[in-house]
Amino acid sequence: MSTDDIEADLTRNTENAPSELLARLFFFVCAVLSVVTTASIIVLLVSEAAKFFSVTAPLVGFAGETVSVVEFLTGTTWQVNSGEFGVLALVSATLLITVGAAIVSVPLGVATAIYLSEYASRRARRILKPALEILAGIPTVVYGFFALLYITPVIQLVFPDTGTFNLASASIVVGIMIIPMVASISEDAMSAVPEELRQAGYGMGATKFDVSTGVVVPAALSGIFSSFILALSRAIGETMAVTVAAGSQAAFLQPWNPASYLEGALPMTAAMIQLLLSDITGGGLGYRSLFAVGLTLFALTLSMNIVSDLIAQRYREEY
Amino acid sequence: MATDSRVIDGFGQVSQTAGTVFRYLLLFATLAGLIALTVLLLFVANDAIQPLTADPGWHLVFLLTLVVPTLSTVGYLLARARAALSVGVAALGLVVVSTMFAGGIAMILVDIIPPITWAGYVLTFAVPTVALLAARRAVDLPLLAWLPVAAVVYYASLLGIPGPLGSVVGLEQTVPSVAALFSSLSVLPADWLLLVVTFTLPVAAAVGSYVRPAGDRVAAAVGVGGVAVASAAALSSSTVGLTPVPATTLATLVVVPTSGYVCRTVLSRPRDRIGLALPAVVVGGSLLGAVLVRAFEFAGPQSWVDWQFLTSAHSRAAIDAGLYPAIGGSILLMVTVALFSFPLGVGAAVYLEEYAPNSRLARLIDVNISNLAGVPSVVYGLLGLGVFVRYFDQPSGTVLVGGATLALLILPIVIISSREALRSVPDDMRRASYGMGATRWQTVKNVVLPRSFSGILTGTILALGRAIGETAPLIMIGAPDVLFSLPTEFSAKVSAMPLQVFAWASLYATPEFYQRAVPAGVVVLVSVLLAMNSVAIVLRNRYQNEQ
Amino acid sequence: MDQSTDESPDPIDESVIETNVADAATSDTARGPADTIVEARNVDVFYDDVQALDDISMSIPEQRVTAMVGPSGCGKSTFLRCINRMNDRIDAARVEGELRLREKNVYDDDVDPVALRRRVGMVFQTPNPFPKSIYDNVAYGLEIQGIDGDYDQLVEESLRRAALWDEVSDQLHESGLDLSGGQQQRLCIARAIAPDPEIVLMDEPASALDPVATSKIEDLITDLAEEYTVIIVTHNMQQAARISDKTAVFLTGGELVEFGDTEQVFQNPGSDRVEDYITGKFG
Repeated sequence: MSTDDIEADLTRNTENAPSELLARLFFFVCAVLSVVTTASIIVLLVSEAAKFFSVTAPLVGFAGETVSVVEFLTGTTWQVNSGEFGVLALVSATLLITVGAAIVSVPLGVATAIYLSEYASRRARRILKPALEILAGIPTVVYGFFALLYITPVIQLVFPDTGTFNLASASIVVGIMIIPMVASISEDAMSAVPEELRQAGYGMGATKFDVSTGVVVPAALSGIFSSFILALSRAIGETMAVTVAAGSQAAFLQPWNPASYLEGALPMTAAMIQLLLSDITGGGLGYRSLFAVGLTLFALTLSMNIVSDLIAQRYREEY
Repeated sequence: MATDSRVIDGFGQVSQTAGTVFRYLLLFATLAGLIALTVLLLFVANDAIQPLTADPGWHLVFLLTLVVPTLSTVGYLLARARAALSVGVAALGLVVVSTMFAGGIAMILVDIIPPITWAGYVLTFAVPTVALLAARRAVDLPLLAWLPVAAVVYYASLLGIPGPLGSVVGLEQTVPSVAALFSSLSVLPADWLLLVVTFTLPVAAAVGSYVRPAGDRVAAAVGVGGVAVASAAALSSSTVGLTPVPATTLATLVVVPTSGYVCRTVLSRPRDRIGLALPAVVVGGSLLGAVLVRAFEFAGPQSWVDWQFLTSAHSRAAIDAGLYPAIGGSILLMVTVALFSFPLGVGAAVYLEEYAPNSRLARLIDVNISNLAGVPSVVYGLLGLGVFVRYFDQPSGTVLVGGATLALLILPIVIISSREALRSVPDDMRRASYGMGATRWQTVKNVVLPRSFSGILTGTILALGRAIGETAPLIMIGAPDVLFSLPTEFSAKVSAMPLQVFAWASLYATPEFYQRAVPAGVVVLVSVLLAMNSVAIVLRNRYQNEQ
Repeated sequence: MDQSTDESPDPIDESVIETNVADAATSDTARGPADTIVEARNVDVFYDDVQALDDISMSIPEQRVTAMVGPSGCGKSTFLRCINRMNDRIDAARVEGELRLREKNVYDDDVDPVALRRRVGMVFQTPNPFPKSIYDNVAYGLEIQGIDGDYDQLVEESLRRAALWDEVSDQLHESGLDLSGGQQQRLCIARAIAPDPEIVLMDEPASALDPVATSKIEDLITDLAEEYTVIIVTHNMQQAARISDKTAVFLTGGELVEFGDTEQVFQNPGSDRVEDYITGKFG
């Protein structure tokens, strides 16, 4: 074979054949679409919320009715009809539910993670893990009915003053819903703990209990912590369960008073659903407040996700 | 023998009490959520089905014909042949899941896409594809030259010549589209015959190729038999009170795959064939029980989940309310979401894993996707409202807008699970392919995707389950609370099962709705989701075993 | 289509295989001098900052078996992967110097590694058939390279050349993964030679196999050199001595210490280090 032939043959550049380029382009567009989604969420929320606040409305050339940022962020009354947009009323309800959900899900989730990672046999794990995923697979609206129809009556047996809509029942079901998330991320963190550490513990004559609680859990702490935050951010963003079970009357509740759990209130997500279901006019103040609440919610959950990610990265670096 | 003065009796005992208590506490905590969910599901099932309203005789009959034989079969298999038990459970699951699936497809064929239209679509794509393949054999042209040719041929087939482009410049339609040509035929075969040709035939062929490892003859028999059964079902449908179209659909999607599975099991796993007794006992026991109950005139439970509930639309009276349009809406939404999210999600995963695994862009997209996965669903609803409805000026609450919004919602989940599936393909396979001089696309298409397909499918099914369970995004994009008829096209308003149930609970919050319609709706919704979840889990177990 | 078929010989007849299998240690001096097909000129390879190959220069003859031997980590496999640019898939790897395939430097900017790999087939350390049927495995290269022809015949021919046909002819449509390890490796060889490459690279092809399977692979390699240039990496000295015409000895640090006719390298090594290595004093 002459040199010319091989020159032509070896420089064909198959990677630039039309089918290759088409495939590459398609995959690239798919991958970039996720960035476009994020960008459009941010642009949309920011631009619509900007029309809601007095400070920013002139910047985007909007001349309609607006609300001051201070009033929005510090007000404790949420009354759309009378033009009162104090987001704290919504935030307090969200916060209470999140804390309540954490009280349910964190101990159960971490205990599940310890059991799965340290105690369960392979067989048990193979059955338990998919079963737990089902907890997260039940539609949240169904959890809402469970809370309203079956859990609230039980709570009322113990505390007769409990309202039909209350934060306690909502917290419980949201907590159940996020157990799998806490469990799976914590378990990942525990499985990342090197076997040598466990061996070291056993070598010192420690029992399985000692090793689990004294070696594995402390070593996996940052991973466990990251799972809390992620799960809490999921709880904050949870919508239908709280819409059904927590109530429809916005009220500012004392977050540090346990009795608040027996009352109904309107968390942020439920407020958004309520706004949509009420007759808000497109472009009106109510409509724009939807995006202001949405932006608050998005900012909260996004920052929690990022914090959780940073913590998770730290534990990945540790080992 | 020298005695050692320091001989010890043993090593003593370190107390394990705390450890044992701890262990059981952990186990309890692990099960707590599951127990709570099970109890809640039992409550709602009790409210919806009301088993206690049945005659004691009814219970007795089914106890004797169904429960006792099933339990003893399971017990026997558990003790004697575990592998056979899993075969039996799989066969039973196949019957249940395929019946649900067939119900959905029958619904589409009866009310949304009649067989004539379906056959028209099949022809629209089959005719140009066959023509193009034949042409490619005859004429040798580079791929780049074929693309425009293919585009023109498919365009003509779908829209006719000159089609809508012609009407822009004022040309008359000279040749109608393939579907139009087809439906204008003066003599058309019966609906069921069209279905057998365009639907049963491919299914039977697929099942036949599944059976093939067990023997070519059996495979052919299953394929031909399947077509025969589907035709027979259509012809004899009136005797069981069905119309031909749903009968053919049921036969195609339930009888054909089940018999395929049974044949392959009997032939290739003779030791496990005893497991097939389980589905036989369950199906036989149910039929026998039903016959006996009718003979003795025992009344069954006054279940709210009944034929009427599944096939009628919402009504102001709870007793007449049904879920039919919402079921149809959920099916259409699922199809739309799958159409959008499957190619896009898998495409993104392929790009990130196979094309740019370590680039800076890939890292950026990676971070972005994990954050998108944490965005609350209600915010996706806002996105649908602000972008699709307001910006692109689509009518609110349609199948298209709902499907697109839900597709964006599950896209991160599809991408993440697909990436995991791609990552589980051993690098050996890629090296072998690249070493043969395969290009990237050839490697992806021929080696990586086939190998990771079941993993990708598992993730997609789980994500689709999440999508059809979502309510908030649908409310945000303005889907109607109640819908009285099935949406028949992409631009029709859509409702969905969870949305309908929510509407009953919030807008029609009377005790009747709470006691009847809501639990019944919850039971239907949860059954569909549990079925999807179990299919996904079975698939995942299978591909994990393969690896 | 664009496959260079100009020098592919006619399908060889089985009797030739038989005789060659019987006569495994064919001496190649009888075949006279061979042209150079691959020529390395001052090749350096770095993984990040670590040098894996240090200034390698050698000429590999056409239609001969050339063995690369040396201790683990000496860079022999790295050198092998340079020839078909499989190192491109490792981001950290960097190649300097020239590696000429028939006078064309394969590291020129305009060279398409995919096209290169179509001329230079490869067999890996662990058998890695695709999870497809035996037939589809062998036909894979034909399909992706768009080679026209009667696939049934080409597949049969490749399986015969890989001495696997008689064992699998009645199970062509069963999965390649159902074969034994040695059969899988021969399947991989059949797959590699099906599109008729000029060179077949083998990266310790027998290291994962038992002695019987190994000897079958060795017979096969000697045989393949009738038509192909075979470059094989092995850590097994006896294997290199048995099957190769030329031997290159790499030692730790990525140095090529000795390269020459196998007989000469083994009987009369040029340096003490090589002698120590070959006789097993050092490894």
